[in-house]
Amino acid sequence: MAQKSLMWRLGPLWSLVSLLLIVYAVTLVNSRLGEGIQVQMRYALVNLVIVVALQMFIGTSGVLSFGHVAFVAVGAWTVGLLTIDPELKRNLLPDMFPFLFDVQAPWLVAVILGGLVGGLLAVIVGPFLMRLNGLQAGIATFALLGVVSQVLTYWSSIGPRSGQSMVGIPDVLDLQTTMLITLVIIVIAWLFQRTKPARLLRAAREDPIAAAASGINVVPQRVIAFAVSGVVAGVAGGMFALTNRVLQASQLGIELTFITLAMLVLGGVLSLSGAIVGALVFSLIDLVLVQLQSGVDIGSFVVSIPQGARPIVLALVLIGMLLWRPSGLTGGREFVWPFRKHAPLPGNPVTND
Amino acid sequence: MSQLLQSLVDALSAGATLGLAALAIGLVFGVIRLANFATGEIITAGAYTLIFTWQLGWYISIPFAIIVAVLLSLLMELSVFSRMRAATPATLLIASFGLSFLLQRVYELAFTNNVQTAPVASELAQSISIGGVRIQMLSVATILLAALLLTGLQLFLTRTSLGLQLKAAAADFKTARLIGIPASRVIGLSFALSGILAAAVAFVTTVQTGAVGPTFGVPITILALVGAVIGGIDKISGALAGGFLVGFATSMLASWLPQDMSNFKDAYVFMLVIGVLLMRPQGLLIRGRGAVRT
Repeated sequence: MAQKSLMWRLGPLWSLVSLLLIVYAVTLVNSRLGEGIQVQMRYALVNLVIVVALQMFIGTSGVLSFGHVAFVAVGAWTVGLLTIDPELKRNLLPDMFPFLFDVQAPWLVAVILGGLVGGLLAVIVGPFLMRLNGLQAGIATFALLGVVSQVLTYWSSIGPRSGQSMVGIPDVLDLQTTMLITLVIIVIAWLFQRTKPARLLRAAREDPIAAAASGINVVPQRVIAFAVSGVVAGVAGGMFALTNRVLQASQLGIELTFITLAMLVLGGVLSLSGAIVGALVFSLIDLVLVQLQSGVDIGSFVVSIPQGARPIVLALVLIGMLLWRPSGLTGGREFVWPFRKHAPLPGNPVTND
Repeated sequence: MSQLLQSLVDALSAGATLGLAALAIGLVFGVIRLANFATGEIITAGAYTLIFTWQLGWYISIPFAIIVAVLLSLLMELSVFSRMRAATPATLLIASFGLSFLLQRVYELAFTNNVQTAPVASELAQSISIGGVRIQMLSVATILLAALLLTGLQLFLTRTSLGLQLKAAAADFKTARLIGIPASRVIGLSFALSGILAAAVAFVTTVQTGAVGPTFGVPITILALVGAVIGGIDKISGALAGGFLVGFATSMLASWLPQDMSNFKDAYVFMLVIGVLLMRPQGLLIRGRGAVRT
């Protein structure tokens, strides 16, 4: 066997490093463009983490999930309850279980706990939901989102009364920290691609019958992927809580599900690079549209688009993508070191095999 | 006793409404595997039409609403779904999700976020008393309308050549094409019928609320889609029965759960849905396992 070059050996790592560099570069550029854009960038990174969670499950297993925003919601709730000042909680959320008044945690611990609560919910419902395929899986996960939304909206023992929101979440997360958490999550997602459950799920995604014939029991593997992506979604929820600092169940529902799915489809469901490129490009288009809605000076002209045009353009982007390039901007491929001869097939991580 | 009867009539009418909506989804799904989430926006379009044209008289307003609903339904097929024939049901569902979101925002831009109101068929909003039981005229009208539409649809599907073609295509699209049934015609037909059913749903819900906003059709569609899937979206009767069941259950829960629990009625319905999906993923009315095609 010929000695392989160092570059070749490090090839797979490039598929991770390139993603980290892209996120870092985009954040760096945006951080120089003023306060308003910095705030939008923080939301963009939160969405990016949700999209990564979606990709870890949907992309790997090929099963549709509308339910991940439920994990985002419980993660956000956890962080909200753990970081709001106890005195404030007692006044603003009077109906809560008494023990919740005094539990407190530093924000980072709270975010990690938020991830664990998201993962826990996924572990509890996973063994049931993961037996379903296709449209049935989509509807069942959607039903999960419905149940969680209703509970968080109306159950005042664990949050605000219906119609009110949770306020008083401390302002501790700046753009740089948000980016660091995002980078850690990307590393976790990249490592997850290389684990045995992910490999088995990819096999089952490509050919369920052949996978079953090879002795793969797909349900437990799916539960693992569901749980890991549930943890990531929960962390994203925690990041959302600390970014938005006001929580209402209606913010974490159908619309967020739609937007994050649109980001994933835009980039390419099958690859981690698709999740990241999709989230960033979508956020970039959104950023431009927000600027255009308020009017942009180009020379002596003021270019503007009507209020309300922004979501319309975003929806058109999603539909156009599904029509003309359903595999997404990345085509479901990971980034490969430019000088490597062999690129993996779409939907597979870069390896040295 | 009278309270029980009253809630039964209400539940029957809610079930009939959702049954029709689920049928609108199921008819299209049977043919091209599309669970069209944007059916809700067809309902909204019909409802807006009723609100804006009601003062011209019902004999203008109702046909006009049907035309708008059918045209919008066909437009969706021609502009988006006809170009996605190779896509999986999950991808089609996402596309319809996008279309639904798009149309909601278009309505918002055109008619603002505020609800538009008009007393559509306000005569039906009264209730009558039969032997001490107060019954909403609208509930009775809804049940009658559903019965009428279902009979008409049944006659169409079993007695006319076009209807039989559609029925065959819904049962097995590939085989139907092999024996020479023109694909584009039955697909167009399914979208048109879906539009008519959506217009009927728009009528009864608009009479009930008298107010229409951009997301008017969304809650109905969510429950109808969920109902269609648990009933067995692969089969026209399955979709209908599932929609009816979900509507009936939701209405009964709303009438009989104590106040502090009835807030959670949708949560109970969704849990019921997950339970049904686990026990019978192919749908309540589908026998055996082989019927689920993806």
